Amino acid sequence: MSDGVGVACRESRVGAFLNLRGDAADPGFRNVAASVTGVELPVEPCTWRRHAGHAAAYWLGPDEWLLAMQNGVGVDLESRLRDVLDPRCSVVDVSGAHVQVELSGEDAGKVLQKSSPYDFDPRNFGVGRCVQTVFAKATALVAAREADAFDIVFRRSYADYLLRWLEDAAAEYNASDGRSP
Amino acid sequence: MLRIRCPYCQEARSEEEFSHAGEAHIPRPANPDASSDAQWGEYLHLRRNPRGPHREMWVHTAGCRRYFNVLRDTVNYEILATYAMGERPADEPEEGAL
Amino acid sequence: MSGQVRRLASGGRINRDRGLRFTFDGRVLEGYAGDTLASALLANGVDVVGRSFKYARPRGIVGHGAEEPNAIVQLGSAAASVPNLRATQVELYDGLEARSTGAPVFQRAVGRLGRFLPAGFYYKTFMGSAPLWMASEPLLRHAAGFGRAPTGADPDTYDRMNRHCDVLVVGAGPAGLSAALEAARSGARVLLADEQAEFGGSLLAETRPLGVDGATNWVDKTIGELASRANVELLPRSTVSGFYDHNFLTIVERRTDHLGLVSPNATRERLHRVRADQVVLATGAIERPLVFANNDLPGVMLATSVGTYVNRYAVVPGETLLLFTTNDQAYRTALDWRRAGREVCAIVDVREAPGGELVAAAREAGIEVIAGHVVIEAIGRGRVARAVIAPLNASGDALDGPTRRLSCNLIACSGGWNPTLHLGSQTGVRPRWSEDAAAFLPGDLGVRALCTGAVTGTGSLRACLEEGALAGATAASRTGFGSGRTTFAAPVIDEPRGTPARPLYLVPHARPVSRAPKQFVDYQLDVTAADIELAAREGYKSVEHVKRYTALGFGTDQGKLGNVNGVAILARALGKTIAETGTTMFRPSYTPATFGTIAGRDVGEFFDPERHTPMHTWHESKGAAWENVGRWKRPWYYPRAGETMQQAVNRECLAARDGVAILDASTLGKIDIQGADAAEFLDRIYTIGFRRLGVGRCRYGLMLREDGTIFDDGVTARLAENRYLMHTTTGNAEAVFAWLELWHQTEWPDLDVHFTSVTDHWATAALVGPRSREVLAKVGADIDLSRDAFRFMDVREGEVAGFPARVFRISFSGELSFEVNVPAQHGRGLWDALIDAGSEFGITPYGTETMHVLRAEKGFIIVGQDTDGSMTPADMGMDWAVRRNKPFGFIGDRSLVLSDHQRADRPQLVGLASADGDTVLPEGGQLVDDPKPPPPVPMAGHVTSSYYSARLSRPIALGMVKGGSKRIGETVYCPLADGRILAGTIVDPVFYDPEGERQNV
Ligand SMILES: [Zn+2]
Repeated sequence: MSDGVGVACRESRVGAFLNLRGDAADPGFRNVAASVTGVELPVEPCTWRRHAGHAAAYWLGPDEWLLAMQNGVGVDLESRLRDVLDPRCSVVDVSGAHVQVELSGEDAGKVLQKSSPYDFDPRNFGVGRCVQTVFAKATALVAAREADAFDIVFRRSYADYLLRWLEDAAAEYNASDGRSP
Repeated sequence: MLRIRCPYCQEARSEEEFSHAGEAHIPRPANPDASSDAQWGEYLHLRRNPRGPHREMWVHTAGCRRYFNVLRDTVNYEILATYAMGERPADEPEEGAL
Repeated sequence: MSGQVRRLASGGRINRDRGLRFTFDGRVLEGYAGDTLASALLANGVDVVGRSFKYARPRGIVGHGAEEPNAIVQLGSAAASVPNLRATQVELYDGLEARSTGAPVFQRAVGRLGRFLPAGFYYKTFMGSAPLWMASEPLLRHAAGFGRAPTGADPDTYDRMNRHCDVLVVGAGPAGLSAALEAARSGARVLLADEQAEFGGSLLAETRPLGVDGATNWVDKTIGELASRANVELLPRSTVSGFYDHNFLTIVERRTDHLGLVSPNATRERLHRVRADQVVLATGAIERPLVFANNDLPGVMLATSVGTYVNRYAVVPGETLLLFTTNDQAYRTALDWRRAGREVCAIVDVREAPGGELVAAAREAGIEVIAGHVVIEAIGRGRVARAVIAPLNASGDALDGPTRRLSCNLIACSGGWNPTLHLGSQTGVRPRWSEDAAAFLPGDLGVRALCTGAVTGTGSLRACLEEGALAGATAASRTGFGSGRTTFAAPVIDEPRGTPARPLYLVPHARPVSRAPKQFVDYQLDVTAADIELAAREGYKSVEHVKRYTALGFGTDQGKLGNVNGVAILARALGKTIAETGTTMFRPSYTPATFGTIAGRDVGEFFDPERHTPMHTWHESKGAAWENVGRWKRPWYYPRAGETMQQAVNRECLAARDGVAILDASTLGKIDIQGADAAEFLDRIYTIGFRRLGVGRCRYGLMLREDGTIFDDGVTARLAENRYLMHTTTGNAEAVFAWLELWHQTEWPDLDVHFTSVTDHWATAALVGPRSREVLAKVGADIDLSRDAFRFMDVREGEVAGFPARVFRISFSGELSFEVNVPAQHGRGLWDALIDAGSEFGITPYGTETMHVLRAEKGFIIVGQDTDGSMTPADMGMDWAVRRNKPFGFIGDRSLVLSDHQRADRPQLVGLASADGDTVLPEGGQLVDDPKPPPPVPMAGHVTSSYYSARLSRPIALGMVKGGSKRIGETVYCPLADGRILAGTIVDPVFYDPEGERQNV
């Protein structure tokens, strides 16, 4: 939810992240995955789907998705999925590998512009789009959640660096009302 | 700073997201032990390095992590085509140009 | 403000209610808001703003914008000092402190030196004579340059912003404004950048009305419409500095310089990195000066600049004006001057019979027009006092009558126009000479950029407006917006009919060029017409070579004024046309950029990201010394109070050998590999086989490049029938991951296998030492830890300290060891639990240094330290890890049998025992066979790893020695830079527990 003026950045609580590989053209695979996770796998490049308050699926590549589950434990979800998926698919619990933050506010887009060469203008990057790209001197997955609100997923080892980076980049937009991001 | 269309992400992205991965369409010999030292040396080291259109591989490092092919003019850096692994570009330039 | 002796009583776009105080070379002066430093200096009657680079001649302000070559100033002092600014581009603010660039002490040095520096001095000294350069270099270094480096860290903040637009319009003069307006109306995303604080360009000094509006009203209305549109972004104070491949441009935006020197709470400069689908270059043109003797005297200025100072800043930079022109347009300056109530001594016009409407207007105003004449020389001490004029012959290369002198203290010159084609040239497109325009024009920039307005040679204001509108519409339509047709209604403007210009690039003097007083072509680097002719006489033919020989255009102004005159003079000296001679190319940046802008926020803590493990704050709290491994911060060792590094490492090593120690190994690369063909794939990637590896077992593997050299190593575990976990070295994690994808995606897409990086997912604590099992038992593990149930090279899954865990019984130390992995969110919890449980056993945290000592005692190599990209497994004594004759083979196997890889004298891994039993050999030390050899010295090898071993109470080392595996027991020598020569004995690389018993306890 956009906070209006300035930029807010807060860590999102995600129960589990899973990396899923399989054949996007196989409806059976997609159905099985959706039945366990509750969310459709997006097949359109650079888009994401969500099941309100429950799960999100991000397109990472033509046969690769990142699942973000609000509830559940990564290893359990991994084995539940493995039990039902074709053995040629791959599912890996990566809950420890990622940190997710939500960046919001009317200047959130400007903070993204400072951080990444990708075009985050709403004309190009509307709600429902996601992109893996260069972010400062690391990489990140950025998803447009609402107008002026973005989910950003990055690797845990870069979290200290990127959170400080975001705070620094947002400072000029928050200076007037004294809020810190 | 190039702008490269990733055939998998299906949009043009900035060069920072990619890494160059050498000349394209150099298949590994099916039976390396059957090749002479000279043939094997060519496979290892000899590259075309043309002036003009050049087929090369790039990988979308910060994006979808997929390797793909780029037809790039080494004189003006124009990218004439990008295409997925295992494909040839739709508008194949004349053989003499390569 | 009585000091502003040359300020007009009214007029100009300055705010007379806001007086500003500033200093220049220590003098306190006053100006107004809206002034540039240059206009304020001129208002105060400051004639001399610096001394020239080579001859230390006094110099005054020549121009009014980016072209200014002389008024190069330094603002502020100490850390906040900013060198190399053009006073014409510095907005005045209250309290501004400026200094001219040359301090008196080295002006004199340069002056003395300059008399001995013929053209080509640098070139000849660099190319020819090392000793001469060595001798001159300190003096030149001291003298050269335009300012002094700040003396401390820059207190300001700089950053970058990425931008994307459909149409980028460069320049907000008449053509740029109308282009932006048309593009904006189409709905395209438009970005408009201009280097000045105010948009409008030449319109800000325009005295003619545009239709019913004053020129500045028209500008205000246009800006108003642009600013109101959501699809337009306006960037004033923003110089488009670079134009790179694929329409990538950089824009340097100066955000705070007009407010004062240090702005701790704001970004001083922002580098915009722009991706534009279309670029419209409306960069205008810069007036071309005229080359005559002593044309560098203060008081010689560009005619447009004089007009701009009068009209825009209400400053008259002199009393009596002489206009020297080749064209009609410059007559406006004389008319403006007269309107300002000042005296015009004469207009000296190169043309035999000038007759346009402006010429008529000047005559009507009673101004004397001296046709067919030229100013051959300026005379004065510190400022122009007189001009020497003479009639010019028909071919323009000699005088045609007697000279005479006119009194004046300002000579306004106009030699025509040089389009500002720098940005187009930066893309590699060569400008072309147009005989009609008597100028270089931008070359064909293709379908993604176009030029419009004065940069294309267009002179008429109305035409600039119309062409700009068309360019804006065209660019927008190419991006899918609008029809490409323009709806722009160009305002009616009084455009007087003119007569053709008569270009003149070098004004003849009564004496030949080589003996006439200096005729300056490039003011900033003191290049004269004689220098260029000398270069031609010495045989230089290419304009690029002459540039380097004479330094023409090498200054920070990149020859914005001098370039075309220089080319023309060279062409004449070579007997060629200007088109044949061609021009040099321009490089980014258009005007100098600060290092701060280029660095952006990538400084200090953001210079290089630090990657942290989940246990990072624990290490921090224990005072760990850090080692950077790639981007990772890893504990190097944990010093206790009063300990040296060696003492700490000795203590850590002995704890691992005798008790229990713990290492944060989370940084190791980890890749999850799944699929029916995972085993087949690993067989092809590793030198060793994985097909028959049992589930729950681990195996060490070497990964080779296709040329047979070692790329990476590590332990891979089989977690399930079709699932493996690969460990890579910390530094190679991403390269190995890309390597696996490369082979799978490009060569073997038919193999059913998937890779997922899990480096960040797992936190790893390596529990090492004979008592490690006890600690693991105490912390609680639902895994049978007994020696026979959990063997060396086994992997088990279960719970450790209540966390889901994978435990590997693998060892990089030779000791009993359990590497406990838990998901990273539990890493700190696991670590705390192990430290707690281990306290009764004296558990000792250790860092990378101890890890290295322990592995070196065992003769375990580190890829990248003991190998350098040229070593094969055999070189490292690791043939045991290679299985040739696998069904498919593996990457690199064919290369292992290449003849060069079979040589007996290849460098091979050995151990080295220091002969005195005491001295640690230096890592990187070169090894020779003969302690005092005559040069050239044949190298026997080098030391790759070297430590003091606390367990063995002596130094140990690993090294690569030619044919070393057959030289056990021989002595090699390591000569040091300080003259000492250390001796070492070649020994087996395994120093400790060669049978490998300890890891099986
Ligand atoms: Zn991609």
